[in-house]
Amino acid sequence: MSVKIEVGAGGIPHNQILIYGLVGSLILIYLTYLNTVTNTQYFSFFGGLAAVAALIWGTDTIKHLCSYGLGTGVPSAGMIALGSGVIAAIFGATTGIFAPIVTVIIAAIIGAVAGLMANHVVRMDIPVMIVSLIELAVVGAMTVLGLSAMACGTFEFIGMITGTVVFLGFAVEAYGASLIGGSIIAVIFMLGAIAIQHSFNACLGPGEQQDRTLMLAAECGFLSMITVAIISFAFIGLLAAFVSLLISAIGWIYTYMQYIELSKRDAYAWLDAQPILEPKEGGA
Amino acid sequence: MSALGGPAQTGGVQPPTAMGLVLSIVLIVVALALAFFLVQMAGVIALVGIIIGGVLIAFGVHFVPVGGAPAAMGQAPGIATGVAMLAAGAGLAGLFGGAWAAPFGLVIALAGGAIGGGLLMAITCTMVNVIYIFGMGIPSASGKVDKDPITGDTFPEYKSQGTEGHGLPFISWVGGVIGGALGGLGGTLIYLELLDIYQAQLPVILDAAVEQIAPVAISLAGIFAVGMFLMNAVLAAYNITGTIEGPHDPKFKRFPRAVIAAAAASAVAGFFAIALLELVGVF
Repeated sequence: MSVKIEVGAGGIPHNQILIYGLVGSLILIYLTYLNTVTNTQYFSFFGGLAAVAALIWGTDTIKHLCSYGLGTGVPSAGMIALGSGVIAAIFGATTGIFAPIVTVIIAAIIGAVAGLMANHVVRMDIPVMIVSLIELAVVGAMTVLGLSAMACGTFEFIGMITGTVVFLGFAVEAYGASLIGGSIIAVIFMLGAIAIQHSFNACLGPGEQQDRTLMLAAECGFLSMITVAIISFAFIGLLAAFVSLLISAIGWIYTYMQYIELSKRDAYAWLDAQPILEPKEGGA
Repeated sequence: MSALGGPAQTGGVQPPTAMGLVLSIVLIVVALALAFFLVQMAGVIALVGIIIGGVLIAFGVHFVPVGGAPAAMGQAPGIATGVAMLAAGAGLAGLFGGAWAAPFGLVIALAGGAIGGGLLMAITCTMVNVIYIFGMGIPSASGKVDKDPITGDTFPEYKSQGTEGHGLPFISWVGGVIGGALGGLGGTLIYLELLDIYQAQLPVILDAAVEQIAPVAISLAGIFAVGMFLMNAVLAAYNITGTIEGPHDPKFKRFPRAVIAAAAASAVAGFFAIALLELVGVF
């Protein structure tokens, strides 16, 4: 009674996706620093795009890891990714301008420890385990850092723990009204975890195609971005948050339509079932 | 036999490799030394608390009856979902209970966490059996043992052919509650240790009153406790590889491996959590 996890062959090689994902998310997250350089908040959405790039890479990693059959279900891989990632992301954020690079290094250390423990102590003995858990921890960390940067406009720790409250017409600094003080970080954690664990879990099985799975990963990422864009109305300017919302909505609609197209391509047959129409009162 | 294939299962339990054991001891010692170097004795005490919390989580996960996909079809005993999901549910419920009780002192907070986690698992296990028995018409029968160690009920005559047992026997229910309580206890311990560290350091760094930084300290301690909880729970899940019936399952004997792995992983993750505020303002 065991269900075999089948993955499709072919597609873009994993190492290529790894490089695109890592470099892409690093560059995109650094683009949010334009906020500080230009003293605006319009570039916050780059953080969300960094998270999407990381999520696409992470989905391909999960696909490689889970094709060995962990026995614990695909979501557990997403959970350990975000669990180790959130520690690295917040630790990395305290290092100012170096935050994204430090985050990657710390996440790699925590992921390596988890991978070594899984292979050498728990004796999973899966060849790609250590590398995969390193990648997943980095993906989780970049997702948390990216979405946090999108929500509050900066990837620096002080920016994440300080917010402003308007009290009797005066803007007062308050730690409670911030990304971490308001526990928005917990929402971001779950948004990232759902986005990373859903795509491969939904697409695995016979006829799995890499481009369809990764398109779903991007779609999940943009869906999380929409939520974070709505959250960001509380932390960044109205117009800047609106720009974020617009970009996430456009991204989501595009990837969703692409995903439906790819699903139609891979399906054996397709019936566009209409909603069941209720007969009119007193008719017939 | 697991829900999703699983790695090759050879007979018996493979012990950890020598490299793995040495590495985990070295990691724990290095993390403790660095914690002492950065935050002195308070850091060491906090890190020891975090390691104990991680070990309790990994140990507790082994008690929880996880059925996975076969349980959803009534072909294996246990709750019909994966280890990570169940552990997260029990641990987070425990964390809520413990965090609520945190102002009442360490003992009451830990008890609150344990009761929170245990209560969630008690409700879950009861409702699982209500659905199995009254909804699906499935009697509870273990496939791993012939007799319930607590009630003495016999199982073979109720077990359907071709299944590994079904439903949730009493011993699994008890295991679930114990597992939830241990998980909640461990999660709360991690939370309280980190909260102490942040409440001592944040006012100095930010030059603010303890009340002002309380939301930040609580949120940081909470999200780190959740993160470490999930890391340890997934390592324990990898150790179980799929499904387990509870404390009477032969797979339960594997727990020492998960305990070692969780101790080393918590030590490293806990060190970064303790050292979090050391670099603020340096760059």
